[in-house]
Amino acid sequence: MKKLFTFITFLFSINGFSQVIISGKVTDKKGEPLPFANIQIEGTYDGASADENGNFSFETDASGEKFITASMIGFKNFKKALSISSGKLKLDIILEESINSLNAVVVTAGMFEASDEKKMVMLKPMDIVTTAGGGADIVSVMQFLPGANRVGESEGLFVRGGSANETKTVIDGMIVQNPFFSSTPDVPQRGRFNPFMFKGTAFSTGGYSALYGQALSSVLLLNTMDKQGDNSNLSINANMAGLGASYTHKGWITGTLNYSNLSPFFSLVKTNIDFEKVPQGMGGSLTINQNLSKTSSIKAYTTYSTNQSALNLPTYEADNSTYIFENNNQNIFTNTSLKNTYGDGKWVWLNGFSYSKNKDYLNIGVAVANRGDERTQFRSVASRLFGEENSSSFSFGAEYHNIKQDNIYNEYFLSLKDNYTAIFAESEFYLSPKLAGRLGVRAENSSVISRSNIAPRFSLAYKAGKYAQFSLASGRFYQNPEKEYLYLDKNLNFEIADHLILNYQIIKNLRTFRIESFYKKYNSLIAEQTVQYDPNPYRFPTGSLSNTGKGFARGFDVFFRDQKSIPNGDFWFTYSFLDTKRMFKNYKEMVTPYFASKHNLSLVYKQFFTPISTNIGVTFSHTSGRPIYVYGDNFKNTPYTKAFENLSLMASHVKMIKNQFVVFYATLDNVLGRKNIYGYRYSNDGKERFEVRPPMYRTFFFGINWAIGELNGRSKEADLDF
Amino acid sequence: MKNSALIILILLVSVFAKAQNASYQKTMDDLVKQISETDRQSSLQPIINKMERVAAAEKNEWLPKYWVAYCYGIEQFTKSDAAEKDLILDKADKYLGDAENLSVDNDEIMVLKAQLASARLAVDPMSRWQTYGASFSDNLKKATKLNSNNPRIYYLQGTNLFYTPENFGGGKAAAKPLFEQALDKFNNFEAKSSIYPNWGKVESQYFLSQCQ
Repeated sequence: MKKLFTFITFLFSINGFSQVIISGKVTDKKGEPLPFANIQIEGTYDGASADENGNFSFETDASGEKFITASMIGFKNFKKALSISSGKLKLDIILEESINSLNAVVVTAGMFEASDEKKMVMLKPMDIVTTAGGGADIVSVMQFLPGANRVGESEGLFVRGGSANETKTVIDGMIVQNPFFSSTPDVPQRGRFNPFMFKGTAFSTGGYSALYGQALSSVLLLNTMDKQGDNSNLSINANMAGLGASYTHKGWITGTLNYSNLSPFFSLVKTNIDFEKVPQGMGGSLTINQNLSKTSSIKAYTTYSTNQSALNLPTYEADNSTYIFENNNQNIFTNTSLKNTYGDGKWVWLNGFSYSKNKDYLNIGVAVANRGDERTQFRSVASRLFGEENSSSFSFGAEYHNIKQDNIYNEYFLSLKDNYTAIFAESEFYLSPKLAGRLGVRAENSSVISRSNIAPRFSLAYKAGKYAQFSLASGRFYQNPEKEYLYLDKNLNFEIADHLILNYQIIKNLRTFRIESFYKKYNSLIAEQTVQYDPNPYRFPTGSLSNTGKGFARGFDVFFRDQKSIPNGDFWFTYSFLDTKRMFKNYKEMVTPYFASKHNLSLVYKQFFTPISTNIGVTFSHTSGRPIYVYGDNFKNTPYTKAFENLSLMASHVKMIKNQFVVFYATLDNVLGRKNIYGYRYSNDGKERFEVRPPMYRTFFFGINWAIGELNGRSKEADLDF
Repeated sequence: MKNSALIILILLVSVFAKAQNASYQKTMDDLVKQISETDRQSSLQPIINKMERVAAAEKNEWLPKYWVAYCYGIEQFTKSDAAEKDLILDKADKYLGDAENLSVDNDEIMVLKAQLASARLAVDPMSRWQTYGASFSDNLKKATKLNSNNPRIYYLQGTNLFYTPENFGGGKAAAKPLFEQALDKFNNFEAKSSIYPNWGKVESQYFLSQCQ
């Protein structure tokens, strides 16, 4: 009974006896006042906002042992036990900065990220389709970024002195065996994937994460879209090179069909290529994107395509004779990934499966030649998030690839099988909001060469000011020798590159400035023992092989982008300087490889005109001359090709009528009609040389895209889908 | 004796609880009024702070959390830096998520989710329409399913069209009927109490006047 009355008395005591005044000052660690910080006695309404000098004062009825809390956006919550009795209480509070998008440093060395989640955004799907000269092709637009070296006659990303082979395209963590349409000598091919499939792209120019491997220079990471709403819509497109349709049902399943035929295009545009059969093809894809539960989602993508083309290629003999190069290609690619999160999102488990098969049925002159690739891969990665705001992570995982490649040339049959396994672990951690690190290690085994390796990776980032930061990345990168070498010799070892990259960037209010310098050292490159140097890049290797090649690449690049100064305008400037030399393949000396150019520069400008809902884009690019090596070259007094230059324009106009959405687009490439030359090919005796020209000098292209159905609350920026 | 003491205790506790409840009602009532009376040029942060204190003390009430999220959705307009806007909207999302955990299938929460999605979209429309455009229309769809008489659904649809250029299916003419519909719904709308969401009417009238 007594207890009960004490309790009742206690209840009343809460409700109003002595009032206590609590006052003080809220500052950050440096003593700067924090206006509008919110101070409160826990469990009551009592509290106050700090004034512009960080001072606060309030009365409270509370007494006894209480907690006082203080909070403010961008700072860690403060909590302290307080014994409230009577009279006045003075308490100064120091709030500590939390890790957030405003103050947190990000590891940026070597990386160009572009996604919605990351704030340090550089290039997004919409940027890709509105860039003049990029032809809505992901890789073509990446070539306007620092570190990339434009090589007009072949597809792929040549990064900082690396060949196209040294860049791997990765979709949702899985290596894409055939990211481009099948290669034809001296005719560059487009990428197989539509930029709008991806929510984000990250282009690494070196020093990339231990989660990826088998690329000496660079990885292009593409992450597919998550499920977006549950609308149904149909989209139809037609242009000078084909027709396509795509239907999405309730947001979770999308089917596409397309037919391409370049006849209309070549009937209007003059080409430098002699087509026996104009490129044409058919394809389709099926995408499933579903959230299975709040903590589980699945993405599955399957595509099949078949393409045919035949061209007459010069034999490069004096009689101007030609031979036919005919290709019938079939390609299947599937990629499925399952994402699960556990423990309130603290654990993330990603599982992926991918299968791809590519067949080229070739007729080269009178020879019958087939090329085949098949890759089956599994990947599993678990990540544990930890630290403040889950900003740090520890990831580990494994991948397995079964690779089969073969090449038939008349009576020759070359093939290889490889079981590739890799395990990796990596941690990204914050030592403070200003200092972050990434430490990783990757171990690989390749059965075809019966070799293993261990590759460490390391990055560090330091925030130097509110908008500026320094970042450093380094590591070792391994790659299997090219298949043409492995067909002949399975006793080779991995090729090796070591990277060191230092980066400074400042991003403020839609303006970005970034400068990066790099040093890359190549070791164990494959070298061929040949009697004489043969400059033909398509030649099949002969002679004995060894891992004795080596080289280096060094330089810097500058990037500036301004999306602020001109309303509705976007401007960017890129300059890359490259100094590289190698002894590899059949080179006899340490020289600059034929694909490398010292200076790469590009200027991109886009302007949206709201009253006429039209976007205009202009791009100018300049690539300095590349070395020319002749048949039997002694690698002294090397001449250079003349510089490559291109000015392109594009325009797109958007119209929306009720639930129909129409985009018209047109591009004009090489406006000035400059006769660019990519290099020379030689006759068998090496005495005659012939220019390698782009497929077209000046070209134009136009098309239309028509979408019908429920659209996702789209704003003025249109669905440009080429 | 024991019984009577227990009765006294129960009575006292319930009186105490009532008092507590009355203080919640009164504090909320004042704050909600202040929110609507604050002009959009001055910072809502002092009111947000008070509302946050109520939200922290009243752990099981969804309304204080809802109002904090609503206020942050407005407060972000006072910032010009994209990252700062995002940071504020992160906080708004967090409060609204907590509110949703306390009150599932609530049309008002869906409407506010759509409102916050459109604020995110406005930060960088060029690259965000694909994500936040979908989230905007999705949440309004869910709200309509739960309560098609919620006038704020039509108000938000109206503002979305109002700011969309004519060539993209928007414009004043397209937005006008939605504001009219919103006002029509407002005339038949009664908030459950003075502390429930009741914003959007004055705004609809203003936008309608701009559509003439």
